[in-house]
Parts: sequence; C-alpha cells; structure tokens
Amino acid sequence: MNIVTENLRKTAAKLLQDKEVEMVIGYGLGSEAVRTQPVFITSPEDAEKLVWNPFCANGLTKYLSDLKTHAGKIAVCVKGCDSRGIFRILQDNIIPRDKVYVIGIPCTGQLDYAKLAAKMDVSGELKEFAEKGDDFIIKTSKGDFTVKKSESLQDKCNTCEHHNPVVADYMAGDKVDLPSVLDSYDQIKKLEAMSPEEKTKFWLSQFERCIRCYACRNTCPGCTCRECVFDNIKPDWVGKEVNVSENELFHLTRAFHLAGRCVECGECERVCPVNIPIMLLNKKLLKDCKELFNMQTPGSTEEGGSTFNEFRLEDPEEFM
Amino acid sequence: MMANKSLKKDQVNNLLNKIAQSSQLIAPIRSENITRFKPVQSGEGVVLDYQNSVVPPKDYFFPQSEKMFSYDTSDPSWAITPEAGVPNRVLFGVRPCDVKSILLLDKVFDAEFRDDLYIDKRNKTTIVAVSCNECRHTCFCGAFGINPGQAEGADILLTDLGDRYLVEVLTEKGTTLVGSCSDLFADDDGNGPAAKEKAVAPAIEKQMKIDLEGVKAKLDNMFDHPMWDTESLRCIGCGTCTWVCPTCHCFDIVDFNNQSAVGYRYRCADSCQFANFTRAAGGHQPRPSKKERTRQRFMHKLRYFVDRYGDFGCVGCGRCLEKCPVNLDIAQIIKKVKEVG
Amino acid sequence: MCTTKEVASPLTPHIATVTKIIDETSNVKTFQVVFDDPEVLENFGNMPGQCCMLSVLGVGESMISITSSPTRKGMLEFSIVKVGRLTEVIHQLDVGNKIAIRGPYGNNFPIDEMKGKNLLIIAGGIGLAPVRSLIDYALDNRDDYGKVDVVYGARSVDLLCFKYDIFDRWPKIRDTKIHVTIDREEEQWDGHVGFVPAYMEELGFSPENTVAVTCGPPIMIKFVLQGLEKMGFKDENIITTLEMNMRCGIGKCGRCNIGEKYICVDGPVFNLSQIKLLPPEF
Repeated sequence: MNIVTENLRKTAAKLLQDKEVEMVIGYGLGSEAVRTQPVFITSPEDAEKLVWNPFCANGLTKYLSDLKTHAGKIAVCVKGCDSRGIFRILQDNIIPRDKVYVIGIPCTGQLDYAKLAAKMDVSGELKEFAEKGDDFIIKTSKGDFTVKKSESLQDKCNTCEHHNPVVADYMAGDKVDLPSVLDSYDQIKKLEAMSPEEKTKFWLSQFERCIRCYACRNTCPGCTCRECVFDNIKPDWVGKEVNVSENELFHLTRAFHLAGRCVECGECERVCPVNIPIMLLNKKLLKDCKELFNMQTPGSTEEGGSTFNEFRLEDPEEFM
Repeated sequence: MMANKSLKKDQVNNLLNKIAQSSQLIAPIRSENITRFKPVQSGEGVVLDYQNSVVPPKDYFFPQSEKMFSYDTSDPSWAITPEAGVPNRVLFGVRPCDVKSILLLDKVFDAEFRDDLYIDKRNKTTIVAVSCNECRHTCFCGAFGINPGQAEGADILLTDLGDRYLVEVLTEKGTTLVGSCSDLFADDDGNGPAAKEKAVAPAIEKQMKIDLEGVKAKLDNMFDHPMWDTESLRCIGCGTCTWVCPTCHCFDIVDFNNQSAVGYRYRCADSCQFANFTRAAGGHQPRPSKKERTRQRFMHKLRYFVDRYGDFGCVGCGRCLEKCPVNLDIAQIIKKVKEVG
Repeated sequence: MCTTKEVASPLTPHIATVTKIIDETSNVKTFQVVFDDPEVLENFGNMPGQCCMLSVLGVGESMISITSSPTRKGMLEFSIVKVGRLTEVIHQLDVGNKIAIRGPYGNNFPIDEMKGKNLLIIAGGIGLAPVRSLIDYALDNRDDYGKVDVVYGARSVDLLCFKYDIFDRWPKIRDTKIHVTIDREEEQWDGHVGFVPAYMEELGFSPENTVAVTCGPPIMIKFVLQGLEKMGFKDENIITTLEMNMRCGIGKCGRCNIGEKYICVDGPVFNLSQIKLLPPEF
C-alpha cells in the first residue's frame, strides 16, 4: 500500500471519529482492476475502502453540489485538476467554504482506461502497482502487466497545470515537484486555421454521434444550475429529439454557458461514451478568454474565476 | 428450413453489395474508434470483427427519437398525417445478445396495444446475426442463458470459421434472403456445426461468470434495503446506461411546432435515471432522489421485468458497466444482492 | 419505397369537438366532447373508471378520467383541473374548439362484481370526477345495485364539483343518499362542516354486502382507509384509483410503473389487497 493510501485512510478515519466531517468522498476499488469508483465514507471503519492509485480518474467535486443540503461537513479528495473545481463550486455559491474539507492529493498523472484496455487485461482485481521510470508495473488477479507511462497517460495529463491541488485543508502526500505545463492550444490553432466548411464538416461529424446522455453536463463542476436550460420545456430551448441540429445546439450552448468559468478538468470528455472531443470547444473558449481578458485558468485561485461576471476598465473594446 | 450454407470470406463484400441494391442495408461501421450500426450503400467499411457497437441496434426498431405524426391546427378539422413506414431492410451483423434484446422488446411493444411504429420496423427487417468468437471482459450473456453461438430470433446466423462463414438459415425471411443471392453461397460440407462449437468456445469460456441463482427471489424482498442508499450515491443521474442498453424502452412523447400551427408529435427515448421522469404537474414526485431512481433501474431489469414478462430485462452485453462514468456495474450489483440480500 | 403500416396506431388520437363547458369551481371545468367521426364514439366501449389521453396538438397530452358514464350516450365528459401547462391551455378552449383524444385506457371499476351490493363512495374535491362515472352507471342501472351512499367534501362550497349532481339530480333517485361536507364553516351553508373521513365515520356504514370506493387527495385517502378498517371493511372490498405521471397510456413508456404494474393498463383502479402487494412507491 502506498503512503498516500495510508494517509487517506488514517485521516478519513480520524475526521469521522472526531466528528469533524460527516462524510468523506474519495476513491475506492472499482469492478475492474484499472478502475476506481467514487466512495462515500460515513463511518471510521469504512475508511479502509479508500485507495489512491493511477486509476483515480474521476473528479469528485461535483458531488458537493449534489450533497449541498447534506447536514454536516463533507470532505472530498481532489487531485490538482479537480481542486480547481472546488473553487468553481465555491465561487458559484453552491456550498459554503466552511462545509467543505479538502483532502488534496498530489498527482503525476492518471492512466487512460481505453489505452490500457488495448494493451492488457483490465478485468479482475488490482493487487499493486509500481512506477519505474517510464514503466508502470500493474499487478492484478489476472497477471502482471507492464505498460509505458508515456503511452498510457490520459491525454490531458501531458499538459498538467497543477500537479498539486490549489487548495487543501490536508495534503495526503508530498508535493509533486514537476513543472506546470500550460496547454499551448496547438490543437485549437489547427482548428482555427480550418476554413468554415472544414470546421462545419469536422464538428457536425462529432455532434452526429452525440446520444444526449448528459454525462458531460452532469459530471461538470461548472454545471450546477438548479433547473438546467436543457431540461426546460417552457420555453423549449432545445428539443428532446436526438439529431445533429439539436445536438449541436446543446454542445455549443453548454460551452458558452461555461465560457470564462470552465476549470479545464477534462471530465466531460472522459465520460463521453462516444468520444466527442468536448474539451476542444471548452479550450477554444479558454484560449480566447486568456488572450482577451488575461484570464488565468478559472478555479486556480480563490478569487475571480468568472470572467464574464466582472467588468474591468482595461477589458478590450476594439469592437466598440 | 434451408440446410446450412457456407459463405467464403471474400464473398462477404459481394453479399453486402447485392443486399444494398434491393433493400436498405444497415451494418456495423467503425470510425473514431467506435463501432455503430449505420445505413450503408455497399459493403465498404463494414466490420464484422467488432466486439460490440457502442449503442445497440435496437435503435433501428425503437429509435432514440422518431416522428409519430404531423398535424396542422390551422386546418379546421385538425387532420393528422401519420408517418409512413420504413422501407424493407437488412440489419446485418447483430450479436446474439442484441438479438435476444429484440425478443425482449417484442414482449413490450408487440403486446396489448400493439405498437405500430415498432411492429412496422420489425416486419420490414431481416436480421442477419453473427456469432461471437471472442468477447469483451465485460460480457456476461451466459448468465441470462444466451449462447454466443446461437441467435433465436434472427433470420440468419453467420459464424466465422476462419476462411469462411457458416450460414445457418433460421426463418423464411432468411431463406428468401439467401435465395436472392444463391450464387454467393455454397452448401456447408457438414463440418460447420462442429467447427462453430470450437469457434465460439472462447466467447463462452472467457466471459464474466455471473450466477443469477436466487437473485430475483432476494430482490422481491429488498425494496427497502439500505444497499440502494449506498450504491446510488455515486450515480450522476445521466442517461448513459439507458441509451447504451439494448433492452431499455422507456420513452417520452413531445409535440414540436416552433410557434406555428404546423408541427409534429414525436416520441423519444427517456430515462428513469433523469430526475423529472416521474415528476407530475402539480408536484407529485414518487422518486425524489437518486436512491429511488437507482433502485428502479435494477429492480426493473432484474425483478419487475421477470414478474411481468417472464424473463430478465438484461442480456449481459456489458455496455452500461463499461460506459458508466462512475462504475455503477450491474454485475457488481448482482453480486452484492446475493451477498447482502 | 416507404409502405404503409399493417397495424393500427394506438398512439394516434382522434379529433373531437368541445360541445359544452361547465365551470365547476375556480380551477375545474367539465368539458363535454363529441368525436368528429361518429363511428369512434359508437365503438369506443369505455367503462366506468377508464381514462383518455387528452391533448391540444402542439402542447402535449394528459391522462384524464372519463367522468361520464357509458350509459349517457352521444358524448364524453372530462373534468379537468388547471394545474400544468396543458391543462392551462385546455381551460382556454371554447365550445366549438377541437381537442385530440385517444383511449379508453386503463381498467374499470368492477361493476359486475359490485352487482347486488351497496355502494359507499367517499370522495374529496376533484376526486369525485373518476367515481362519478361509476355512480351514474349504478344509478342508470338502479335495479342492479343496492343502496348508494356518497360522502363527498371539499375545502369550501366553491370547490365542490358537480353541484348540479350532488344537490339536484342524485338525491332525487331512490335509495341514493348524498352526504356533502365542507372543511370550514361558511355563511349561507347550513350543511355538515368537517373533513370527509371524519364525516364518514360519524355517519357510520356497515361493511355488510357493501363495496367502498374512495378517490381524492392522498391525505384524505389515508384517513378514509383507516376509518373503513375500523368499520370492518375487508381489503378486497375497498377500491381506489392510483395516480402516476403517464405518457403513453398503453403500458410501454415505463413512466407509470409501480413494481411490475403499469397504472395505465393494470390500473388505475385497484383494491386495497392489490395495493398492499405493490412496492410502496407512491
């Protein structure tokens, strides 16, 4: 067992024992060796269920919104990218700061389920894992597997801005001493260089696959409206029919509702069952906001985080 | 029924091209690492070695959304124009789990108040199934008595035997289809069935072994069991499990008219996992939290469907547990029910 | 290349015209409708307790019980509370306007099993609408049924529905007693004051050869069931209607399920012993 797992279990047990929090949301072993599942620990004995490994892809901050009326304080485990979601939820006044206890976990990257499934038997139970240079040795009940970390990381982990959480009431491990890698938005620049016809062709072929499961919306810490515009029937902004026209409207509207607020956690793209590159939309808006308004990645700091809710005299106005 | 035939691998393309000339052809296409059933004009790009499509072919009988009829309320008699039926078509390359799911959907749609929209599509479709030589680690069709090498309910069953496909003709529709391109088929040399058993053995052996013994009986008494409180906590209330499930059949009916007198009524798939599925005008909401909705999903598949239709409402295709963002796994739920029920 | 379908569509409505509108209360109206195609009503075959999906094309559909008895020919009556998007639009209809209807759906009150028995009907507010079809059926076949007692109440005189039936028409029929109550004292009202369940117990009814049918707000039903139990009524002889959000009306869309039952085809009429077998999900 690694030191982070040990620390998580000890801390969770103590927080619950001392009744400092009512619930600890963290990662537990999943039904496949290379998956974890969110666990909700409410008694000290159950703290044993908590784990930390390179398969902890889920962002857990959205549950703070689900549980905002839960009596008592809630502790939640966050990686660097997830931790920006904490500030997002706080800045949107979804839950007060004193109801949240942040357990920060320094992270050097999460492995991608699909990439692993192409290289190894991902079923069974995880026994242990070890990192040796670029090698990841994963021991499961189905055997021992070695994969190259550089080939198996989630794409988003190659441009990790915050290896360490931006906020934490307790850090479950030693800070990671790796440089922050900001997205150079090369993919976005490629798209920007396309002609309108090429862009239309590209995007409609993506939206045509959408099955309107709303997993992207439901997992997003920025999507916390009590009554989502897409669920409204009066007025009927977006119909319930599943066709490329309605799908396009859904994705573009959601991207614009998040403009200046998206914390770039990448969960939306990860959960999409049909591999729509949703983050390309969000990153385009992030790139534009960063260039136009000198914006930091939302959720990086306690203040701000909502570019279009602010007005500054120095905002660009060449269109006026 | 017609005796077994054999189809050389290099003839598959010709077969698909021939079918596409006289019927609509719907077959598995892979793009962006995803396989889906799509209408195609020829055999080009059709894959039969895919493991399963991301969304099931049930969409061709029960589409995610479909127009029911159009209307014009400026016409004083409010005349309604029903939608025309579908053309004759061949649904090619369906896995045995998905074939079984269509039989289960028949119990819902071809029951009292026979659903014309569904039945039209069923009548006009010839189903060509293909056995599984391999399986995903998330497959568990065997738990529901489904054999990866059998497809009762299909019109033809193909099995990959290496250099050729064994062609088992199961119905009159299948006979007609084979008869229409008989020059592409040879007679099976008699070794087909034995070779098939060998070919599909890995799919039977390697899949997840889930035992349903006692699960229904336990669920009969688990309506108030605390396991629904804990399992439902991680659900994010999206519709992924519902949309990828080959047996889910809940739907909504909506009128669309864009502020004018001319419009249409359509039905679209709906999910009991959505919060406002059971919410009524006036505020009555019998499933107010995720607990009730998560419980409803598993109870429906593993208990209520059995009570009403005599069969489990799941075929073990594994799509839901693979795509669920939070690893809510029906196989894990079944194991838990046996443990704590 | 597209061809017509072989099976008649259960989801396509028939068009009807509104022929009469009665203002029952400030938010309830009764609509009398006649199908534009007379054959539809001739073959409708609705039984007391059944419902129809009513709709204004372009707005939506809603399941409403048929409040008129099939013994009253030539039309159908629906009593509608203004409570949501569609019902608001329906309330704006005039005589001569069109409405789309499909049905009849659901099971019906067990009128054959009830023959020869006394009927005790306990209803509150709009809850009288579904049972009114049963009351009129029994009263139109008077010799087939025993005593008919109706205990009916609403929050105020204003909110009493079918005033023309409860005060004028029904009391005139032999062996038929209508006991009306309102929740709170009002000037100009010298009838009974008190909640329906309490009034029912006050009046007292013997379960001997009697079937009780109750319909109304959930809180009223709860106390009525307690009262009936006290008076010795057996579960099989207590009947009520269950309500869930419905969409297809034909047992397929999954919205109205309680356990393995669909309220739209297996209900809405259930007796208490059947209800006790259902998962407690309403």
